[in-house]
Amino acid sequence: MRGVEWRKRVAMATYQEFIQQNEDRDGVRFSWNLWPSSRLEATRLVVPVSCLFTPLKERPDLPPVQYEPVLCSRANCKAVLNPLCQVDYRAKIWACNFCFQRNPFPPSYAGISDVNQPAELMPQFSTIEYIVQRGPPNPLIFLYVVDTCLEEEDLQALKESLQMSLSLLPPNALVGLITFGRMVQVHELSCEGIAKSYVFRGTKELSSKQIQEMLGLTNPSASGPQGRPAAPQDPAVTCRFLQPVHKVDMNLTDLLGELQRDPWPVPQGKRPLRSTGIALSIAVGLLEGTFPNTGARVMMFMGGPPTQGPGMVVGDELKTPIRSWHDITKDNARHLKKATKYYDALANRAAVNGHSIDIYACALDQTGLLEMKCLSNLTGGHIAMGDSFNTSLFKQTFQRVFSKDHNGEFRMAFGGTLEVSTSRELKVSGAIGPCVSLKAKGPCISENEVGVGGTTQWKICSLSPSTTLALYFEVVNQHNAPIPQGGRGAVQFVTQYQHSNTQRRIRVTTVARNWADAQSQIQHIESSFDQEASAVIMARLGVFRAESEEGPDVLRWLDRQLIRLCQKFGQFNKDDPTSFKLSESLSLYPQFMFHLRRSPFLQVFNNSPDECSYYRHHFVRQDLTQSLIMIQPILYSYSFHGPPEPVLLDSGSILPDRILLMDTFFQLVIYHGETIAQWRKAGYQEQPEYENFKHLLVAPVDDAQEILQTRFPMPRYIDTEHGGSQARFLLSKVNPSQTHNNLYSWGQETGAPILTDDVSLQVFMDHLKKLAVSSAA
Amino acid sequence: MEAKDLYIKPGNQERGWNDPPQFSYGLQTAAQGAPKRTPLNKRVPPPQLTGSPCPVPGDFPSATAPMTPPTNPLAPPCSMNTPPRPCPVAAPPLGGVMATPPPPFPVVEHTDSASSQSENEPDVDDVVTLLNWALTACRHTVKKQVCNDVAKRLKLFEDMWKSGKLSLPVRRRMIGLVQELKSCNWDAADEIHRALIVDHVNEVGQWMVGVKRLIAETRNLNPDLLHTQEVDQSLDTSSAGNSD
Repeated sequence: MRGVEWRKRVAMATYQEFIQQNEDRDGVRFSWNLWPSSRLEATRLVVPVSCLFTPLKERPDLPPVQYEPVLCSRANCKAVLNPLCQVDYRAKIWACNFCFQRNPFPPSYAGISDVNQPAELMPQFSTIEYIVQRGPPNPLIFLYVVDTCLEEEDLQALKESLQMSLSLLPPNALVGLITFGRMVQVHELSCEGIAKSYVFRGTKELSSKQIQEMLGLTNPSASGPQGRPAAPQDPAVTCRFLQPVHKVDMNLTDLLGELQRDPWPVPQGKRPLRSTGIALSIAVGLLEGTFPNTGARVMMFMGGPPTQGPGMVVGDELKTPIRSWHDITKDNARHLKKATKYYDALANRAAVNGHSIDIYACALDQTGLLEMKCLSNLTGGHIAMGDSFNTSLFKQTFQRVFSKDHNGEFRMAFGGTLEVSTSRELKVSGAIGPCVSLKAKGPCISENEVGVGGTTQWKICSLSPSTTLALYFEVVNQHNAPIPQGGRGAVQFVTQYQHSNTQRRIRVTTVARNWADAQSQIQHIESSFDQEASAVIMARLGVFRAESEEGPDVLRWLDRQLIRLCQKFGQFNKDDPTSFKLSESLSLYPQFMFHLRRSPFLQVFNNSPDECSYYRHHFVRQDLTQSLIMIQPILYSYSFHGPPEPVLLDSGSILPDRILLMDTFFQLVIYHGETIAQWRKAGYQEQPEYENFKHLLVAPVDDAQEILQTRFPMPRYIDTEHGGSQARFLLSKVNPSQTHNNLYSWGQETGAPILTDDVSLQVFMDHLKKLAVSSAA
Repeated sequence: MEAKDLYIKPGNQERGWNDPPQFSYGLQTAAQGAPKRTPLNKRVPPPQLTGSPCPVPGDFPSATAPMTPPTNPLAPPCSMNTPPRPCPVAAPPLGGVMATPPPPFPVVEHTDSASSQSENEPDVDDVVTLLNWALTACRHTVKKQVCNDVAKRLKLFEDMWKSGKLSLPVRRRMIGLVQELKSCNWDAADEIHRALIVDHVNEVGQWMVGVKRLIAETRNLNPDLLHTQEVDQSLDTSSAGNSD
């Protein structure tokens, strides 16, 4: 091996460790771990300096500290004291590493010295969590919004799941119930007497104020001279609709048990009248009026699409099907724009108040996730999609919303805000993930917006330990400007949130990377490339663009970036494709892009609009490992020839004497090769002398079960074999798609280098190499 | 949590295509926070890029060691033909004890019939007595309506048990629950109630919330109230009695 190759391999191995350690400690994965020192060089690297960040990454070894963080006193900085700061222990002064302001330590730090450092200055606490309790803790709120236009079996199963969930809620949580069908009912949860409810027409749009008045949440007789409503002294006492679960659990259990199907008869050939839009508007309005700026979850359960009132997605005539992609591309989706706009407005209102909205949609047909997805995407709420409420997929997914960590504390967190500070040579272009902009002004904001940009602060109303944002940066140093003093750039992530135990906490992560001159150190920069993180980061960009651009444009853009990257970093002789090689730090990247292009995130025509929304929803919030699985499913092979091993996601990996386990994140597929299937059918596993075969059959099942036990949402589980109808799940991933819809047969433009669509990995790689080495490109 | 309470049921294939299996509450909580045994996260680069003829081998999670390829194409390799190796399936298959492959979770159909008799058939009166002991203690300080509501549900529980509508696992676990209650292990009792309502909601859904409330109220009581004269009397008057 040539010296350069060997050095690269060693460097890469070292970087692998570095990358992993940093992810374990700080929840951060950068596309590049050595940063190009000028803007021009950064653009030439193709993949921007960017990162995946998991604000609440599980850190069982990190004990929180019980004091307030120390902030830089400069008004437009406010960075938190961290291990990168210079400290003068004698003078009790620290220098902010972002703005260089010198700040005195607070009086409580009088005793610090270089042998008695506060935790936040120690390098191992690059990530540290503060517990800050200001004022009385606010309870968490769970508002159930339940569709009653369900089949009897489904309604019964849903009722039972809801009753069960009362035992899973945090004990002091407030709980509320709204049911809807043709009308919308807000249930009063008193501890005694007859259950009362307030009924609203499902067609009439009401303002937030009107809703609050009709629910008696404002008291006109007690209002002051200007007619403003009296502020409730203790919302928990005065709000009859949101009561502590430990007080109302018995009554609510009975109430849920007595829920009936929507009584409005559904004529032949019609859909039930579902007033989802109004129901949600009442839920959002109720929370707005009673508990603004407190952690709250609206959990909406629906068994079909909204069919009346604002936000309707389809009419009640069954002969008019719900919109398909075909309808959408032909501009034939009557309700799409209006409904999307309606839910978008609701989503933004909820986000402003720090409230999140979950959607649990169980039906055989589409339910309108395309129109409603912003409700969850903007607020960090979940979307679960199943066939029926009486399935393990729904029941367990729902149970896992309430899952607890190793400390026995709920994983869900509320009311999150993320603020990012950067050293002067970097600016923030934006974020892609389940967040909204807080529109904060500041010196670190780049003019080039990517994703949710124009800000360095975002709100994430609901988050979990796996919630991950992609953050995009811009290097602003001018070309040929000297490398900044100290040689390192820094980024600080400050996440404030409400823990499920109602404590307010602040987690601070401060990271740094070295600057490098791209002219002289390009090989080092190349070794620092994190191809896994970069694939996910670019994929999120692609998906973000796909929401507003035409599909083929996104594919063209993706291809262009890939070709440019290969031209920059590939080793080859001009015009000689067979000479093309990529170093190890990039060798997996083209394959990721190949699979991304074929994935349901970008190839929408193989799935319904709702399914596509569902897949994309999960893709832009998951952590790196899960996101990669979604882009390029994992494929492991089990056989008698050796231990289980990963194999190429290619049809060549399907062999008669192998069992394959494929994980696409949304499905787990166990595929038995032809010979294995025959042996299984013959029952060899039952015979004691073929115990090994039994073990072989069980091995992938056990590995799959480990995944099934913890993944959220619960995936589908497919046990299939050669010739089985369900084998198509595997075959469609490994083979070029035969049914690909070439509605947009592009590649007709001259001049623009493109990769051919719809081919095998082999052919794709050949095309890529040809284009990368071409001197005409 | 007993081993019996760690199980997997098949999914509902009639209502959901490829519905995944359903894990019991015990299995799910055991998995949380536990490190992954076999992280499946390795990939293989395409040979065209690295110049190497074969893909990089991945992790070796499971314990199967290499074996000789099958000589009989119609049958899988027979254990008897394999060279000796650390894996437990060794020599002659005379029903010998198999040491442990990865712990198999038995897939159990939920078929325990409500009226099955075993030698440790729990007695409903034991359970009811203990529950009433707690309820009596609560009546001093907890609102009357709440206590009556709890009592109503305890009665429902008792009736369901006596008319054979509760399966054996539910009955067995209720015994465990009241034992924890008696020992003032509130968290343990609470956890059992949670496991029961998750695993058996259709059987317990109507009355379990009463037990839940009972645990919650009892744990907040002044401990002296748990041993007043009338409370102890209610324990003594039970015919089966309870040995401490």
